[in-house]
Parts: sequence; C-alpha cells; structure tokens
Amino acid sequence: MNVFVIIYYTLLLGGSCLAAFYNKRSAFLLLFSLTLVSFILGIVGGVGALRLVAICAGLLALSAMVAYAFREFLVAIAPTNLAKELRTAPLTAGFGMFIIFTYAIAGIFAPWIAPFGEAQIISSAFAPPDETMLLGADQLGRDMFSRVIFGARNTVALALAGTVMAFLLGALAGLLAATTGGWFDQILARTSDVIMSIPSLIFALLMLSIFGGELANNTTAFYLLTIFAGVTGLLVVTAVSERSVMGWIIGLAVLGGVSAAFALGMLVIFNPSEIILILVVAVIYSPRVFRLTRAVAGNVVVMDYIEAAKLRGERTWYLIRREILPNSTAPLVAEFGLEFCFVFLLIAGLSFLGLGIQPPTADWGSMVRENATLISFGDVTPLIPAGAIALLTVAINFVVDWMLHRSSGLKG
Amino acid sequence: MKKNKDQVLLDKLADAARTGTISRRSFMNYAAAAGLTASAATGLWGTSAAANPTSGGTFRWGVHDGNTSDTHDPGTYVTRQMIFLAHTHRSYLTMIEADNSLGPDLATGWEATPDAKQWTFKLNPDASFHSGKKVTSQDVIDSLNHHRGDASTSAAKALLTDVTDVTADGDNAVVISLARGNADLPWLMTDYHFAICPSNGDGTIDWKSGDGSGPYKIDSGEFGIRWELTRHDGWHLDGAYFDKVTMLVLNDPNARQTALVTGDVDCISLIELKTLALLERNPNVSIDNIPSGGAITMPMHCDTAPFDDVNVRNALKLAMNRDEIIEKISFGAATKGNDFHLSPVQPYWPDDIPQRDYDPDQAKSLLKKAGQEGLTVNLSVADSVYTGAVDMCVLYAEQAKAAGINIKVVREPNDGYYSDVWLKKPFSAVSWGARPTPDVMFTLAYKDDAAWNESRWQNERFNELLLQAKGELDDSLRAEMYREMCLLMRDDGGTIIPFFNNWVYARGKGVKRHENVAASWSCDGARAASRWWFEA
Amino acid sequence: MGDILGLVGKRLGLGLGILLIISAIIFFMVELLPGDIAEAVLGQGATPENLAALRKEMGLDQPALVRYFGWLANAVTLDFGNSIVTGESVVDTISSRLANTLFLATYAAVIAVPISIVLGVLVALLRNSIFDRVVNVLTLTSISSPEFFLGYILILYLAVKTGMFPAIASLSNDMTFGELLHRTFLPALTLVLVVTAHMMRMTRAAIINLLASPYIEMARLKGTPPWKVIVKHALPNAWAPIINVVALNLAYLITGVVLVEVVFVYPGIGQALVDAVSKRDFPVVQACCLIFAATFILLNLAADVGAILTNPRLRHPK
Repeated sequence: MNVFVIIYYTLLLGGSCLAAFYNKRSAFLLLFSLTLVSFILGIVGGVGALRLVAICAGLLALSAMVAYAFREFLVAIAPTNLAKELRTAPLTAGFGMFIIFTYAIAGIFAPWIAPFGEAQIISSAFAPPDETMLLGADQLGRDMFSRVIFGARNTVALALAGTVMAFLLGALAGLLAATTGGWFDQILARTSDVIMSIPSLIFALLMLSIFGGELANNTTAFYLLTIFAGVTGLLVVTAVSERSVMGWIIGLAVLGGVSAAFALGMLVIFNPSEIILILVVAVIYSPRVFRLTRAVAGNVVVMDYIEAAKLRGERTWYLIRREILPNSTAPLVAEFGLEFCFVFLLIAGLSFLGLGIQPPTADWGSMVRENATLISFGDVTPLIPAGAIALLTVAINFVVDWMLHRSSGLKG
Repeated sequence: MKKNKDQVLLDKLADAARTGTISRRSFMNYAAAAGLTASAATGLWGTSAAANPTSGGTFRWGVHDGNTSDTHDPGTYVTRQMIFLAHTHRSYLTMIEADNSLGPDLATGWEATPDAKQWTFKLNPDASFHSGKKVTSQDVIDSLNHHRGDASTSAAKALLTDVTDVTADGDNAVVISLARGNADLPWLMTDYHFAICPSNGDGTIDWKSGDGSGPYKIDSGEFGIRWELTRHDGWHLDGAYFDKVTMLVLNDPNARQTALVTGDVDCISLIELKTLALLERNPNVSIDNIPSGGAITMPMHCDTAPFDDVNVRNALKLAMNRDEIIEKISFGAATKGNDFHLSPVQPYWPDDIPQRDYDPDQAKSLLKKAGQEGLTVNLSVADSVYTGAVDMCVLYAEQAKAAGINIKVVREPNDGYYSDVWLKKPFSAVSWGARPTPDVMFTLAYKDDAAWNESRWQNERFNELLLQAKGELDDSLRAEMYREMCLLMRDDGGTIIPFFNNWVYARGKGVKRHENVAASWSCDGARAASRWWFEA
Repeated sequence: MGDILGLVGKRLGLGLGILLIISAIIFFMVELLPGDIAEAVLGQGATPENLAALRKEMGLDQPALVRYFGWLANAVTLDFGNSIVTGESVVDTISSRLANTLFLATYAAVIAVPISIVLGVLVALLRNSIFDRVVNVLTLTSISSPEFFLGYILILYLAVKTGMFPAIASLSNDMTFGELLHRTFLPALTLVLVVTAHMMRMTRAAIINLLASPYIEMARLKGTPPWKVIVKHALPNAWAPIINVVALNLAYLITGVVLVEVVFVYPGIGQALVDAVSKRDFPVVQACCLIFAATFILLNLAADVGAILTNPRLRHPK
C-alpha cells in the first residue's frame, strides 16, 4: 500500500459520500461504481492501472473545467440572444468549441506561434523531445510541434474549403431536385450516380494525374474554379429566376461576376495544385451530399405544409429557403461533421499515391503516413498528427451533436 | 588495385566503427562486400561461425514490389517480384557469384577472339528444363533473339544492339558475334532479362508456361500475390538446399516487417530504413546491409539554362551535404556518391578520386562566376523514386539555401513519373538499378546519343574513351580509361549522385547464408533461394 | 407494388445507360493519363523502337475511338476481352479477386451493420448520457485516423503483441471456413471500425431528428416507454436516411478497400485495379470500374426502394 493508493481511494470514497449526502444520484453512482471497478483493476493491474485511471480522470476533469470556463467566457462576451443559446450547450459542446477555437488560433497565427519554420531542419532525425522541441523531431530533424501547428493551417484550410464547396454544390442541387422533381431531378440524380459509381480513390487518381503536373497552373485553376462556381450558381439562378427571362438575364450577369471574384479570391489563398485538390475533393463529395439532401428533403416535400405552401403560390426559392431547408438541417449538419474528417482522410490516402499536398508543406495526413511503420515498434511519432486529426474530428462532432439536439427542438 | 580498394574501404569501415555509426552486423557485411576474407574481417570484430549448409525446409520469402499485371515474359520483367522469381526458376548464361565475381550458370566457360568481337559460350550438358528437356544451344539462341530484331518488344533490346548474330556451334556451344568489340559481354549476360527459356522450335520461345532450367520449378502461383516452388532435382549447379520455396508478395513495408517478426516469413527483401535501427534490436532477426551499385541520381539538362553552365552544375553539386542525406534519408544504409556513376562494389572503381564534400561557400563563388547568384531552380521528384526521395530533395533544398540557391521541390505523381518527368524536366531525381559493368552504365545513360542520356551531356573526350575502353581486353589500361571518364563525369557532367543505396534485407531465425553475398540484387543477388539454407 | 416493380425496371434500364457513360468516361480518362500502356510495361527500359513494336503488338496504333467501340462491341456480348499486358482473359484475371473482395465485404458488413444500427438506436435512446459520449468519442476516433494506420495499430496489438490473429491475410486454397474467418479477421475488423461510425451517427441523427415530432410527443404522453417510442415510432420513419448511408458504406466496403488490402496483403480486386491503372491496362480497369459501378447502382436502387417501402407517404404519392 503506497501513499498514492491510499489517497486514491480516500478521494473516491469521500467523493461518493459527499455526492450521496447532497442527493446527487448520478454523480454518486458514477463515483462509487468507479470505486468498485478500481478494486478489481487494482488487483488485476496493480498500481499502474490505478494511476492510469487517475490520469484519465484528471484529464477528463481538466477538459470539463476548460469546457465550462470556455462556455462561461463565451456567454459573458456574447450578445444576449446568443448567450441564451450558449447557456444550453452541454459541456461536451463547450469542449468542442474550445478545441475548434484553439485550432483556429493555431492555424491563423501559425507563423507566430510555431517556434520554427515548417521546413526548417534543426536537429538530427527523430531527436527526442527537449526544452526547445516540445514533441521532438521528425524524420528529417524538423520540429514536430511546429509542423503540427502549421498542419492545422494547411490541412484544415484545405479540408474546410473542399467540404464547404462540396456542400454548397451538393446541398443546393439536392434541395432543388427534391423540390422541382421531374426530369430535372432525374438528370441531377443520374449525374451524381455516374460520379459516385467511380470509386473515389481511383477517380481522384485519374483526375489528379490528368490535371496535376503541367496543367497545375494559375490559368487552369482559375478556369476550373470559375466553372465550378458557375455550375453552383446556375442552380441558384434556376431556383430564383422562376422561368422568367428577365430573372435569367440578371441572374446570369450576377453569377458571372460572382464566380470570377470567387475564383480570384481562392487563388489568393491557395496555390494551383491545392486548388485542383480542393476541386477534386468537392467533385467527389458533392454527389454524396446531394443524395443525402435529396433523400431528407424528399421526406419533407411530401409533408402537408409544403403542399399548402405550393397551393399558396410560393416560389421554389421560398420553399427551399423557408420550408424545406430548416426542416432538413439536422442530418445535413451531422453529415458535414463527418464528411469534413473524411476529406482529411482522402487527402492522406492521396498522398499514399504521391498526389497529396506539395512538400515541404506540413499536412497531418502525410505526417501520419510518413512515419506510420514506426508504430509497429511502439514509437509514438505517427500518433501525434493522428491524434491531432482525431481531436478535431471529435470536437467538431461534439458541437454538431449539440446543434443537432437544439435544431430537433428536443428539450432536455 | 584490388588491395588498394580494400584498404580504402577498410579505413572507412574502421572509422565508422570507431565513431559508432555502424553496427557490428553492418560492419561484417560491409567487410564481406568489400571482398575481405572472412579471417580479415573477423580479425577486426571477433568470431563468425563457419558455414555448413544442410538441406530441407520450406523457405518463405516475402518480396516487395509485385504487380498483378506482371508476366513471365523476360523482355518485360520490371518488378522485383519477377526478378527474384526469374533467378529462382530460370537460368542465365553466366551469373554474379556471391563474392561479386563472374561465374558460370548455364555456360561452363567462355572465350573471345582478340578483338572481343566474337564470343563462344560452352553450355553445361547436364542442364535441363523442368519439363525434362535438355538445354541446348537452340534454346539459348532463341532466348537471346527474343530481345533482338525489329519486332522485339523487349526492354533489354538496347543492350544487344551491337550483336549481329547468335549461332550454334553444335548442341552445346553458342557463338555471339558483335559489330564492335565488347570485353564485357559475359557480364552483360547476367542481366535479368536474359533468362533462358525453352525454344518453341520456330525461333520463338515459350515464356508463357513458366518453364525454366533454374533451381526450383513453379508448382502454382499468381502474379502479384504468391508463388509455390519445389526443388528441381536435375539442377546443373550446387546449392538449392530448401525443399520448397514460397514467395509472398508483400508490398506494404509494415506488412513485410510484421510478417518477419511474427514468423510468417523467413526473409524479407526490403526493410523500411526508418525502422532499421528498431528492427536490429530484435534478436530473432538478422539484417543484411549490403552496399550496391544502384544509385540515386539527379540529372540536370546540360543544354538548358541555367544548367548549361558548368559552374552552375558544380555549384549545385557542392551545395549538397551528402553525409546528412545519408544519415537522415538512408539511415546510414548507403555509400556516399562522388558524382560519377560507379560504386565501390563495382569493377573498375577508381579509388583515388577525391571525395566532393559540402562547401556552400565555394558553391556561392562558382555561382558568382556564372553570374547566377540567388539562383532558383525546380527539382522534380516522386515518392516512388526511392523511399524518402521527396524528403531527400526537401533536405537538399534546405542545405542549398546556405549557398544562396533556392531549390523548389516539385512532387510529381508516382504514376507516369518515368514517362513524363524523367528525361523531360530539366532537373529531377531518378533511381538506377545496378548495371554489371561501367561500360553498360555509361553507354546507357551518359553516351552522347544514348536514348537515356538523362543529363543531355555531350563530352567528346568521354565518348571517345567510352568506345576505346569497350574493346580493350587489357584490364589495367581499361581501368585507367574508366578513371579518366569518372573524373570527367565528376567535374563536367550534369548528374549529381548523392549516394549509392544499399540492399537492406532481413532474415528470420535459423536462415543461414555464406560469408559473402552478391551485391547485384537484394537477397544475395536475388538468388537467396538457391544459396541459403536453414540451420539444422 | 406494381409501381415499385416499374420503378425497379426503369432504374435498371437507366443503370445500363449509366454503365455505358461510365465506360466512356473511364476509357477517355485512361487515354488522357500521361504515358501509355507500352511505356508503362517497358518502364525505364523503353526506347522508341521497342515502344513502337509493343504498341503494334497491343493494337495501340489504332485510333482511340476505334479501340473503344471495338471493346464496346464485345462488351455488350459480355465478352470483356483480354488484358492487354498479360494476354489473359479479364474474367479469369479478376473473378477470384472479386470473390475475395465480396467475401471480405460481406464479413465486415455482417458485423458492422447490425452493430451500428443497434448502437445508433441505443445512443439515441440514451442521448447525452456518458454512454452516448463514450460511444461517440470511440467511433469518431476510429474513423479519424487513416485506415491503413488503424490497420497498423490493430496488427501491433492483436497480431504482434498478443498473437491472437495472423498479421497477414494471404489466402491459400486448402483453408477451412473457420481458418478463413480467423485469418481475415483483422482486415474485416479494420473495415468495421471504418464504416461503423458513419452508419451509427446517421441512425442517431435520423432518430433524434424525429423525436420532437408531434406523433412522438403523443406516443410519449400516452406513457409508451422510451425504447418503444424509438423502436416502434421513430425508427420506421428514420429508415430512409439510414438505408441511404448503409448503402453508401456497403458500396465502400467493396470499392474503397485498396489500402486495407495492401496493409493486410489480401488478394482483393482493389489492388488489381490500382495495378491495372498504373499499367494503363484498359480492359482490366474498365472491367473493375464497371463492376464497382454496377455494385453501386444496385445498392443505390436497393436503398431507394427501401426508402419508398419504409415511407408510406412516398409509397402512396398524392
């Protein structure tokens, strides 16, 4: 019996008694069952296992405290309406928001936060962590910590851009298809079938092999982006213009300008090969979003209130915006959280084929891949970027869960 | 000459051993590869058991680089799977012995006319195919002709362009006539494409059936997946100690290592160098780290600005810290390059050419001379070139910054790299397999009109020497010529050679090998199945 | 019911059309790829002379359109031709691979689909509890590392350290069914981990989305126990999105497992496809892609039919 074990059980038992005294049923059950489990764990796994439990509990408590503080902080600074909403957020959502906030800060201010450059070689390969290098060095002797920070910038920006574009195109097309139906619906559905029927890795391999290399320049990227934005915008125009000639003309004019501006904007942020990667991702994922949106919206369209709105003479755009979209947000938001991390993984898989992000740009997926074999020897190097991806995924989905819960209108 | 070379290597090795950059195991292998006798090597490091092969067992061999669409056609052998398999189920005229000398396979002896224009190979009368048919001169003639002529689709066609005729001299001798003298022809016959297949009798060969005259015959198998082989009892040479051989294609580095560690295979043909040090700690695994003639090159197009200036080329050569690259990319499993395409394990390696080292200051001054200060160049590379090839270029780019050179690394797709980037982009990274002699290598990639003159280098003196050396049967004169050519490549050529990569493969518990292993391919010159054995 | 049969017939017809379009897309994409089959086969050994000879032998000297329609004419008679590289019949080349892939997909699906739906219902029932959070965190973590990495971790713990399962899933002909299941357990488990989270979360989302509906409120007010509310009232209306996601993931199990095949040395069709693409072996690429596409179309059709069958409103449109 060492001191640690004694303190461990004293705290647990004390906690359970306090919880029982103040009638906190669930807290008591949790604490006391943990005590009972600890008896068994202590016998089987010894002090080490108990220490592990203590560390986990400590981490959990720490994240809970961080989450609580962060939520209160947001409530304090947010305007009244938003603050009211935020107050309903569970701790997990608070934690998720905190992580997303941290990643955003890390990504935006990466050059100032990271102690070293992403390509800077400062030590020998796989140097262990020390005061200057928090997480040690990678295979070339670059600072792992700096690369993880830069990875937040590069990977998240790429994945976010790809996912958002896939959602814009997919969701718009899905809503429109479900609302208008008929041959329009059929064409869109069959097009998405065609794209989806080609396995994504092969599709990406083919597309990137064709558009990579020589064609990866500003002009190609600009045209491709404009075409993409144009197709997306065309869907909006179709919905808004309602077959009026004037509507079409104005719509198309606005659309042309917006598309070109969008393409130029993207070119400022990303380089051409990244843009092509984003577009490939968007094209691969938009049919998935389309299918889901169409299915969800299809269930909404048959509702009586839509029928009523149609009889009222509401326009398609109104139906989409005010009736269908609000009633199908929840599954879409849930899908967004998942698709976002699938995009990470697709990019990592592409770097398997030598088609991912250009070196020496730090990217989490490639960082996992480069050192993946080390895991077989119990070396944790590849776990660091993998952990970074996992943490962000979990965080995003915690927030998504909360929004899902809220939008479903459930109380408690 | 030979003695001298050993001395240089030995000094290097002793140095490495002192500074602790080399393990005992690696030391033994280097020493063996350097041609040291066992006693000389053991004198430095302690004891090593004498070899006494025993027969029996199934050798499970995990090989890398296999493709579903491979075929038995020797003309299009390209993956390592096929190279390993070819050396296991087929035979060649000659072979590279475990001590890296040239030895007999199907041919028991060979001789040339004094101008080296006509070579006669005597065939082993005991040799037979797995079908039971004897190997005759007709089989050899048709097998060689498979790589010749207009209709040939062989990748080795370029190697035989000088051959004017292949004729029989009775059932057991073949005469090869050449347009120009070639002292290296017997070495050339070890090329993995020149496997001998049974003749169909109409001038073509039967490669489809997979019949061969090698140590093991194929029972069953599937390309890119696995092969099952049994010993060929009528094999014409000594060895082939295993009863059966199972070849498993394990393309994933982790799958290979795990399979070896869990005992699912007895040998793996390639180790990921990152994990070399970690795997070395496993007591059940023996690692062979063998210097080879395979090189990583970075050709610059000598006819394209800014590489048309020799000062720029040399500045780029000087801006590379090869030691750091070997340490971080090859994890020590490489031999430092000196910008000429000949490795210390190959014949005619000149030992007295000073090593070029990292010197950013001199590089800077050369650039100043060329009026190219603050030079920016693009360097194309793909992951598939070599494990860590992209990292290598990134590292080089960092090193070159000290010389004021800005290298932009362009990662090209693996797919189609050799058709769209190599020979087309002015500065790229390439991996070369070992060729048996300097003549083959130089003719292939440095001769002015060679299809693969990857650096587009035109040097009159070099080309003149190349032709002279080819027909020269006097070894010391030849060595002198190759030395001069190497100097030209180093000081005028357009190719940076960071290093010659080692073969790094591993054997599981109980798999034994002789003191020496061939450096021509991984796994003892791809002949592990016929040279190794299980400990009794 | 007649409507549905009509729909199935129409969709199958459309499916054939889609296959035709895909075959053209794939053909021209492969054509657009840099390099051609002769260059790929000869690799670094290519010279202008042997390239020309090989192209002629492979029939690449004909224009692309002629080759495409030549292929198409045979394909409509279900003759998928021979691999250009090996000369073997395409059907022989990929049929055993396809069988392996289908086996692995079935294995993974049999485990993953029930688990994820049951888990989805459970977490919807116990939403926002510790159980919900833990299941969420675990499944999300499992899908957020690349699948080859997940495979490596499973190999480390279940094969190298404990030796419970073999690390490589190479097959031989004389295996019993039990051995087969044992040997392919790790790749199947990897796939299960990859697809479970998606299906489970969609089930959860779809159910929770319905819980605020008046008829659920009604059921609850009647005093129906929570599990019954979900299983009897919410679930039937949530099938449409769930079936959709299940179909997507089933298709993924067949078409997207290249990396898992590589990691576990499993002789499936994905590796054959990647190899064929790298060699530009058009007939094999085409056959694999068409198989994948057909799988997809059939699964999607099944999902749509399922969605209609489970939603009375769609079944009887006004």
